[in-house]
Amino acid sequence: MNKIFKRSACLVMAAAMAASLLTACGNDKKAKRTADGKANLTVMVYAQEHEQAVYQEMIDAFKEANKDTVNDVDFQVTTADEYGTKIAAAISSNTLPDVFYVGPENVEKYASQGIIAPLKDLIAENDNINLDDIWPAITDAYEYEGDIYALPKDLSTFAYAFNKRLFDEAGLEYPDIENPYTWDEFYDVCKTLTKDKDGDGETDQWGAGFAYAYMFTPFMYSNGATFLNEDQTKVTIDGDENFLEAVEYFASLTLDGLTPSVEQDAALGYYSRWLDGQLGFYAAGTWDVAAFNNDETFPDEWDFCAWPVGKTGVSYTWNGTVGFCVANGTENTAEALDLISYLSVNQEGQEQLSSSGLQIPNTMEYARGEFKDKVTSGEIAWADNIDVVFNYIEGTEKYQGVFLETTYTYNAEWWDMWCSEFTTVLDGSVSAADYISYIAPKMQTALDEANEAKELNS
Amino acid sequence: MAKAIVKEPRRKLSKAARHEELMGLLFVLPPFIGFAVFMLYPICFSMAASLASWNGIGPVFNRMVGFANYIKLFQDERFWKALWNTVFYMIGIPIGMILSIIFAMGMNRNIPGVRILRTMFYVPVVSSLVAVSILWSFVYNYDYGVLNTITKLLFGIKVNWLGDEHIIKPALVLFTVWKGMGSSILLYLAGLQNISRSYYEAADIDGANAWKKFRNITLPLLTPITFYIMVTSIIGGLQLFVEVQVMAPNGGPGYSAATVVFYLYNKAFESSYMSYGCAVAWVLTILILIVTLFQFKFQDRWVQDIS
Repeated sequence: MNKIFKRSACLVMAAAMAASLLTACGNDKKAKRTADGKANLTVMVYAQEHEQAVYQEMIDAFKEANKDTVNDVDFQVTTADEYGTKIAAAISSNTLPDVFYVGPENVEKYASQGIIAPLKDLIAENDNINLDDIWPAITDAYEYEGDIYALPKDLSTFAYAFNKRLFDEAGLEYPDIENPYTWDEFYDVCKTLTKDKDGDGETDQWGAGFAYAYMFTPFMYSNGATFLNEDQTKVTIDGDENFLEAVEYFASLTLDGLTPSVEQDAALGYYSRWLDGQLGFYAAGTWDVAAFNNDETFPDEWDFCAWPVGKTGVSYTWNGTVGFCVANGTENTAEALDLISYLSVNQEGQEQLSSSGLQIPNTMEYARGEFKDKVTSGEIAWADNIDVVFNYIEGTEKYQGVFLETTYTYNAEWWDMWCSEFTTVLDGSVSAADYISYIAPKMQTALDEANEAKELNS
Repeated sequence: MAKAIVKEPRRKLSKAARHEELMGLLFVLPPFIGFAVFMLYPICFSMAASLASWNGIGPVFNRMVGFANYIKLFQDERFWKALWNTVFYMIGIPIGMILSIIFAMGMNRNIPGVRILRTMFYVPVVSSLVAVSILWSFVYNYDYGVLNTITKLLFGIKVNWLGDEHIIKPALVLFTVWKGMGSSILLYLAGLQNISRSYYEAADIDGANAWKKFRNITLPLLTPITFYIMVTSIIGGLQLFVEVQVMAPNGGPGYSAATVVFYLYNKAFESSYMSYGCAVAWVLTILILIVTLFQFKFQDRWVQDIS
């Protein structure tokens, strides 16, 4: 009896082990559709906690409003760091969620491989979406070969921000957004703002602070320079006077002590220093508004302003966006588009998202009209100089927002190369000119490899 | 090694024996399937993929480039830099082993609180690597880190532990030694307790001093443990990744902290050179294989056989 029992127990265990192994590889997800033809949608995005809560609410509302066609929405949230790896794994194992994020840098890659669905025709049939009401700068970013592949989750721009308290204390006038600072003016303002407040011989308040490589770009563009030529085949920085001038000017701010030094920055980042009221200027994304308006995170008063202008006389910054796309070939394309249109352009959703200070509205009519009115009247806590943000997104005579050049290349290795030893210029150990001629060939090699890989994979 | 193979005449298995054989096969099946699905297939796949030009998402084998990835790899100065960094980090292995022997001998005595000490030294081993890496980056912080608070107090200077390309590697070595010591101590402790008292008693009668006993009894009888620690540490050391990813996410100033696996990860997942990443993985595998074989080959010159 005992023997039989043991033996059958062993058999059961062996079978269980084998079975668990097999199911581990299998796909135990819910069917895409219920028996009565309703969709089970899956969504995967990355989000911060407060953002996740807002989206969860919106998804619940969407489910309620679309009871007839949608059975359930499985809403998965990852961290931004994990997201890329997870999507790559989902692509190679053919288990993509119906709806996920795509950045402009991946549109060409995904669209050309048939990973994400072209949406133009479906959008034309969908009454909820009016493409003409979405900022053109965003819709352009999601176009590939005449079709559109995503609707924006948001569009942000890195406008410049200043700390009003520091200006008041120094007796400086607030920046005029109609007439952005020239480089010389900006240098002088920073100099006035840089102080040793407790008299211990060490600076504890600076004009500005930078995340070095990124925040160099507004100076570069504004001086009429770029890293690459127009078709992204050549690194054009070596021998470009405008580029050299921009690097030298940018480095002089740190070398002359108007920003925290490289070592000080490594110890405490510019973001913490800004929140702590140590910096006069800061490159602020539109999602920062909520945090800066919260007295607990940022006790001082602040507002947006323009980046200082170089030779071109135009103030430049870089824009960013991420969009909702639909997996190609899913049975749920129509419902998925309903969902992303809800998340992207639904009036109530946009009101909720933009009033939370996490993003500006994706729809222009609402942004320029009701939203701006509410900001001006103070009904929505935002920033007075909201026009700075609109200007960068739309592009005006004095303002231009661009996507970083890495958006258009196969990968960012050439850019990483540029960043890799940039701090040697800022701590004075290498001159700007030497660094450029040292790093340009390496950037070119990295760019050539990327272009070659792009060619081989197309 | 070379035993004569006796060929047994094939006998007919009884029903019960055949049944048992079948059961045996059934039992080895799950781990074998596991190995085939999760190891063998990916291994073969990565070999083939390393000869292609694959971005990680599209079709894999429509552009075969032969050994181009390997050639490019050996020409890339960043790869050599990462390899050199990886080798540099290995100096932590002998340092860790020497310290572990010393601590293990200390903890092998009957002193009060020895259990608490043993537990304390083992805590880093069971802690999450990511978590302790984050903690150590606080320790090394330039402005408010514990270490700089001490150096400022004692010598009036602050050291840029993670921001200076010459200091970041030794700083990471210190961290890996701290992290790895617990398990080495435990192994040495087990080894020490396996050494028979009678050797030491005999040495006492012969009038050997403490150093001689250590040199001629303890050390030789610990060599199997030392060998084991060395082999596993070198294999682990060649795969160092998380520490760097957390404490120097861009590879450190001038790529001075990057390791081979860090380089691999960035190529494959950040830059979409998946095939190239596979090639790096294969070079690393072969390197580990050579180093390990080399160690096994020469072990009989210094490892005592105590069985």
